[in-house]
This record gives sequence, C-alpha cells and structure tokens, in this order.
Amino acid sequence: MSENIVQIENLVKRYGDLVALDHLNLKIAEGEIFGLLGPNGSGKTTAINCMLSLLKYDKGAIRIFGEDMRPDNYKVKQQIGIVLQNVAVFDELTVYENIDYFCGLYIPDKKKRKALVEEAITFAGLDDYRKMHPKKLSGGLLRRLNIACGIAHKPRLIIMDEPTVAVDPQSRNKILEGIKKLNEQGSTIIYTSHYMEEVEQICTRIAIMDHGHVIASGTREELKKMIKTGETITIEAIPLTEKNLEEIQTLPHVFDLHYEDQVLTVRCTGARHNLIQLLNYLQSQDITFGQVSSELPTLNDVFLEITGKQLRD
Amino acid sequence: MTVFKCYMKILRQNIGLVIMYLAIFFSVAIVMQFAAGKSEDSLFETASIDLGVVNEDGGTLAQGLVDYLSGIHHVVLMDNDPEQLQENLFYRNVEYILQIPADFYETCMVNGESLKVTKVPGSYSSFYVDQQISSYLNTIQTYLAAGFSQEKAIQAVKEETHEPVTKLTFDSGTSDTSPYTYYFRYIPYLFLGALCYTMGYILMAFKKGDIQKRMEASAISVRRQSVEGLLATGMIGVVLWLIGFLGVTFMYGSRFWQSGLCVYYILNTFTMLIVALSLSYLIGMFITNSNLLSGVANLVSLAMCFLCGVFVPMDVMDKSVLKFAQFLPVYWYEQVNEILSRHHTLSPEFLGQVLIGIGIQLLFAAAFISLILVVSRYRKEG
Repeated sequence: MSENIVQIENLVKRYGDLVALDHLNLKIAEGEIFGLLGPNGSGKTTAINCMLSLLKYDKGAIRIFGEDMRPDNYKVKQQIGIVLQNVAVFDELTVYENIDYFCGLYIPDKKKRKALVEEAITFAGLDDYRKMHPKKLSGGLLRRLNIACGIAHKPRLIIMDEPTVAVDPQSRNKILEGIKKLNEQGSTIIYTSHYMEEVEQICTRIAIMDHGHVIASGTREELKKMIKTGETITIEAIPLTEKNLEEIQTLPHVFDLHYEDQVLTVRCTGARHNLIQLLNYLQSQDITFGQVSSELPTLNDVFLEITGKQLRD
Repeated sequence: MTVFKCYMKILRQNIGLVIMYLAIFFSVAIVMQFAAGKSEDSLFETASIDLGVVNEDGGTLAQGLVDYLSGIHHVVLMDNDPEQLQENLFYRNVEYILQIPADFYETCMVNGESLKVTKVPGSYSSFYVDQQISSYLNTIQTYLAAGFSQEKAIQAVKEETHEPVTKLTFDSGTSDTSPYTYYFRYIPYLFLGALCYTMGYILMAFKKGDIQKRMEASAISVRRQSVEGLLATGMIGVVLWLIGFLGVTFMYGSRFWQSGLCVYYILNTFTMLIVALSLSYLIGMFITNSNLLSGVANLVSLAMCFLCGVFVPMDVMDKSVLKFAQFLPVYWYEQVNEILSRHHTLSPEFLGQVLIGIGIQLLFAAAFISLILVVSRYRKEG
C-alpha cells in the first residue's frame, strides 16, 4: 500500500449553528484518484477549502505530505494544484497568459515555466486557442483552460472540485480522460462531484459524504458489496394484480419491489438468474411485458440504501 | 513579480481609458488656460461706441479732443444740423453726440462752460464718455496751468493714456497669476477619473470567480501578492503623475521649473496622487461590474471636482458649498494650488497654510488606507 499523502482526522467546521464538517476522517494514498461523492451541501467543498487552508476549521487536523497544513506552509502548497468549481481565469488575459500567470504563482523561473505552460496547453487541447481571450471560448474549452491553469506546474496532488459542472458530454469525457492521464503521469487526484457516473468511471477509491462526514468509503466494488442490492430489474408489464406482486415478492433473492405506471422495479440480492426467474414467472401467469432491463447496483443505490435518499436529492 | 505583471497586463487592456482621460485633461487645461488668460488679463480694453462729433472750432485743442476720442471710440464727424443729428441718434447710428463750439478754448477752458452733448437716455456708455471727456479736459487744463503749450499738453495727455491697465482683485492678490495655475487646477480630475477606472477594472478582474481562492492557495504568500499589487498600483500612479509633469514641461518649459514654488506644486500633486490612489483602491474593492464602475468613477471624479473648485473657481462658489467641500480632499489640494498660484515666494504664514493643506490631504489618504485595511480584514475573516 502506498503512503497516505492526505490525512484528515476528526475535522469539524461550523458556520454558526450549522455543522458543515462533523468529525470528518479521510486518508488518501499516493497515486489514487480519490472520489469525494455526496449531494450538494454534504460538505465536500468545505472539506476541500479546509484542506487548502482557505477556511479555518474549529477542530481536527489535516496533514498533507506528512506535514501539518497551514496557510503559510508554502512547501506543501507548492506541490498542490487546484481546479475549483467556478472558472477562475482572467478575461483580460489570453489563454497562454492565463496559464502562464497561474503557473507563475508556483514556478518563478521563466524558462522552466514556458515549457510547462506549453505542455499544459497541449494537454488541455488548447493549442489553437492560445491567443484567444476566455470570453471567446465555449463552456467546455473554458473548463479545460480552468484545469490547465491548475495543473500546469505539475503538482503532486491535484484537488478538483466539481470541474465538470455545466459541461457538455463530449467535453466532460475529454476532461475525464485528461484526469486519468494526469494520474498516470504520477499525480494523486482528489475529485469531488455529485455526478456518481463520473466518480464511478475514474476513481480508484471513493468516499461518500453526507451531513459533513463520510458514511462509506472503499473501492467501487467494496462499496457495492456493502449493500443488499445486487441487481435491479425493470420490466414494463401489463397491469399486475396484488396477488402477482405478492408472488413476485416471494421469488428467491427478491427483497424489494415497486410497481407504478405499469413499470415493475424489482431489487434482488447478488445471486445469479434473477431475471430468468422473474420472466419465467410472468410467462407462467400469461402476463405480457415489454421493455426489460437489468442493472448492476450503482453508487446511487449505495447512497440510497445507506441514507434512505437519492444522491441528487 | 507575477502579480505585478498581471496588473500591468490588465491595465494594458484598459489603456484606452487612460489615454481618453489624458486627452480630456490636456484639452480642458489648454482651452481653459487660453480662455481664462484672454478674458482676465492680457486683453483688457475700454468699451467703444459710435460717437458723433460736431467740431465748429477746428483749433488745436478741439482737434486734440477729437483725436483722443477717436483713439477709444468710433468717431463720426457731423454737420451742425439739429434735424440730422436727432435722426442719427434716433436710429442709433451714433450713441453720443459731442458739439465743440467755435470758441472752444475761451468758452470751455477759460470760462469753464460745459460742452453740449446729446446722448441716448440711460445709456451707461454715455456716462462713460462723459467721464472720459471730463477727465481729458481736466488733465489738459492742469498741463496748461503748468505752463505747457497746447500742443505739448495734448502730447502729454496722449502718452498718459497708453499706460497699461492693472487689474486688482478683492482677495489681496494680483492678476499676475502663474500661467500653469489652470493646468494644476485640473490635475485632480485626471488622477481621480483615470485611477478610479483603471484600479476598478484591475481589482474587479482579481475578484472574478474563484481567482482569489486560487491565488490564496498558491505557493506565493498573500503578503507578497499584496506587496506586488501595491507596487503595481504605485507604479501606475507615478507614471500618471510623471505624464502630468511632462505636460507641464511641454507647455510651460523652464518657466515652471525655475519658479521658486515648483517644489510645492510637486509635493501638492504627489499628495493628491496618494489620495486618488487610495480612494480609487477603496472604491475598486466594492465594485462588482463595469456599469457600476462607470457610474461611481464619474460620480466621484466629477462631483468632487465640481464641489471643490476644479471646474468652477472657488471665488465664485457659494459659501455653503465650500463649507461642505472642506470634507473632501480635493478642496485642500485646490486651496494649496490657489495659494501657490498667487505668490512667487511663500511667506512663513502662507507656507504654513500650504503645509496644512498638504497635511490634511495626507490625513484623508490615511483614512482611506485604514478603511481599505478594515474592509480587507473583515472580508478575510468573513
């Protein structure tokens, strides 16, 4: 196991009576893409701001690269790159000048910086736009510029706070591919999002947050194993009777069902052949059915089972 | 010097505004200098009217009087035809008719009889001509009594009338004001207008989105970023100030630099620059969009300049307005400027007033800087 480069212990942050972080504990190992997943207001951004010393916290400790994280610990800050939720670039500067400026906050040497800026431009696919001002860029390109500004100095740890908000699917995929590439190049990444698909797609380890603390953490598989749901079957069926529903409920591995607007949703434990059993039952009862789908559990299911609410609530 | 350079790059994007303010400033300064100089000092001349003269004498003294009046008015020689004279006066071909009798010397100079005149009733210029004639005759009489011949008396009076006019003002000064007075009077407008805009745009750029957070999380300390920002702010101000003095040099050359008071002008404008910089920085901290910036920058620069005697001389301003203006820094700048403009050297009393004016401006600057620090701290903790 790699060394933990981020350690957060019992972090508490209050805004008056509101507890934004409630004894948050996190350990992030070098080389990970660590996903911090949670609904809006769960404390992800507050946690990030505390990690970056942008916010004072009430209790607890944050250690990054084995050192206490303080506002004046520039040795640690030197090795961190940040990509924040809101695009943080100057409209008055060109694409090149923006990346150069933010890189310059870490790398004073002009020659070295020039090479790094060029690399970041190529990495973000902004070669054709280097002389353009941000106002002329599309939303996706702007997000890519935002990322390039945060990673140009080749940081060891990159913190990304919802970098794909309001980005079209094509740009989102490019950004996610880029993040994987950065990780392959050796950067550890902390990625916060409320889009579970993104987190599932790229993160090697995930922590699910709610009400300011981690309610579950592990790899995708580990998280999914924590819950009862192994498969969710959805069938578009002709009206079912109460008797039918009771009989389906008694089928092996079925532990929950929901029937609304002629759509039957059945949640089963992880055993095999659940779908076949269900279809056999419908056929035996001469019940006609339309669209059928079977889905493995998602992080939303994990969140749903643990908290009783949807991730996007 | 990353932050410093960024300030300059943002300024470069808004350089058009600075150039516009410089152009307005130089145009206003030049035009006002020209207009004020023309109306107040150099081109003083007496009023001239159409004046009819019936000269029945034709002697030396009578001709001398006609020549004297011709030097001031447009004199039209007329025949002694009462009907024609009345008609000319009625139609305002002339405003005043002087009739010199045949025995002018005897009648008027020796026996002291008045000259016959016909004039437009109630006309102040007619009264003015009366005074001129009376004054002329009195002077001639004095010379004659002193033993001058008629020709020499006329010549002596002629030379007297070419003495230049010296205007005196009510405020114990003279019209001999420095030519660059008007230039320095408008400098606060340049400083306030240009700096409010440029600092507003720069600070607004740094406030956008999460830029501040990104900078705080970087490897350069917030203190150093602030120092670089202040350096850039100072640099912008000093360059503007130097441009101002380049303008003085260009327009007035050595006349300004050789004057004994140029040091005080430099000190006063530099203090005003510090005030303008701190005020524009303070304003920039609250500005969130360019429309608001435009409104506030215009309001602050124009209102302060109008109230404090930049565009309207303090002499003609209402006392209650001036009382209110004392709470504004530009008023004290203009006070110092007024003192400097009326003197070639400063007595201890006036030097004291100059230093008090500069000191009060510095107090204003200190107040603005304190407010900047309080707001910064409040925002950081908030």
